[in-house]
Amino acid sequence: MLVLSGHCDQCGTCVAVCPANALMLTESALVIDHERCTLCALCVNICPFAALEIKHED
Amino acid sequence: MKTEWDIIVVGGGPAGIFAALEAAKAGASVLLFERKREMGIPVRCGEAVGKVDFHSYTEVDPRWISTEINTFVMVLPNGKEVKLKSNIYAGYIINRDLFEYDMAARAAAAGACIRMRSNVCDLLKNVSGEICGVRVEKRGTFQEYHARIVIAADGVESRIARQAGIASVLNIRDIEPCVQATLSGVDIPEKALYLYVGTCYAPGGYAWVFPKANRCANVGLGINGKYSKRGRNAESYLQDFLKRFFPEASVQRYVSGGVPVSTNLETLSLKNLLITGDAGHMVNPLNGGGITHAIESGIRAGKAAAGACRKPGEMQSLFDVYEKDIYRRFGKNHESQYRIKELVYQMNDEEYNRIGEEVLKIDLKKRSFLAVFRKVVKEHPGFLADVLRAFTGI
Repeated sequence: MLVLSGHCDQCGTCVAVCPANALMLTESALVIDHERCTLCALCVNICPFAALEIKHED
Repeated sequence: MKTEWDIIVVGGGPAGIFAALEAAKAGASVLLFERKREMGIPVRCGEAVGKVDFHSYTEVDPRWISTEINTFVMVLPNGKEVKLKSNIYAGYIINRDLFEYDMAARAAAAGACIRMRSNVCDLLKNVSGEICGVRVEKRGTFQEYHARIVIAADGVESRIARQAGIASVLNIRDIEPCVQATLSGVDIPEKALYLYVGTCYAPGGYAWVFPKANRCANVGLGINGKYSKRGRNAESYLQDFLKRFFPEASVQRYVSGGVPVSTNLETLSLKNLLITGDAGHMVNPLNGGGITHAIESGIRAGKAAAGACRKPGEMQSLFDVYEKDIYRRFGKNHESQYRIKELVYQMNDEEYNRIGEEVLKIDLKKRSFLAVFRKVVKEHPGFLADVLRAFTGI
């Protein structure tokens, strides 16, 4: 599952590259649509702060 | 609450503000939504802008100008400085927060209605599939607003264009994740822009040091998206850069952002929809500059939209003119700049050093960007056509 594990500056870089439209910014947060997220990890790699992470459920 | 408008503008950056201002001036009823709680904040920008262009768009308030620039210095991987001096580089480092705050007030004074803390989450379409408004979330409640025309000025993270069916997702190689610290207590020349080139500073991008008033400076860098993969992100490169060049400086502000470095979106309009600024990828892909493109596209979109409200039968032709004008003004140039970027960012540090040393042999008075590229051309002959196109606009 894609999770925010670090500091998010809400800069929108991840939203710009998300091919699944699974990310959205609100007034003060990044919202992840887990139904749409395909775990492609593009956002994980592009985040300037490395704030996103894919956590494997055990 | 009024829910029927002529024009809805999504996003309150420079593109959105100028679109709202122009459309309101032309007599349209305009509603602008901004996600954030304060106009102009946060400043996700190096704040450098060309002087002549900036003055051509509006009456400039002196408070917006932080410093005036007349020199451009490229710092090579080996630390040598290549100074380029020319009036081409006459520019400003602006206070973008004050600029946008004031311009939003001017837009409101012209009649535009501005709504903050309003997150536009969906584009609305009518039964025949035509764009007819937006759905907005404000502090947990949803409201629909209808308009004859929607202007997407929602930045690099634009979802409006996508929802309209335009393929605007950026490829990882066409975006630069950027981080910037505004430092205080720094001693650097007041009138010079410093660009640090080479993979040692910022792979697939560059680092910048832009002086601001009162011994402050915007110090930031962007790396190419494809370099983010190797366990390094933009922030870690900036931390290294700050440690190396400004170990003692205080940080006033810290921001990140994504800069599109592709060519402009091919489709910038649909029926009832116009796309402006970063949302349309209107950024110079070589240097990442986009303020003036946002302003210019905003102005043109505001005028076109207001014209289409007056004469709905002419919408198609007005929007076609909008697309053509954007392409003529900078879209075509960005295609050449893109090809240059592709080549320049492949160069390794030895090549940067070698070319830089060659440029240093040129007399300062004759040292221009073009002279630099002539040196690059010597090493990469196929490059010439693109450079000529980029600098002559052919």
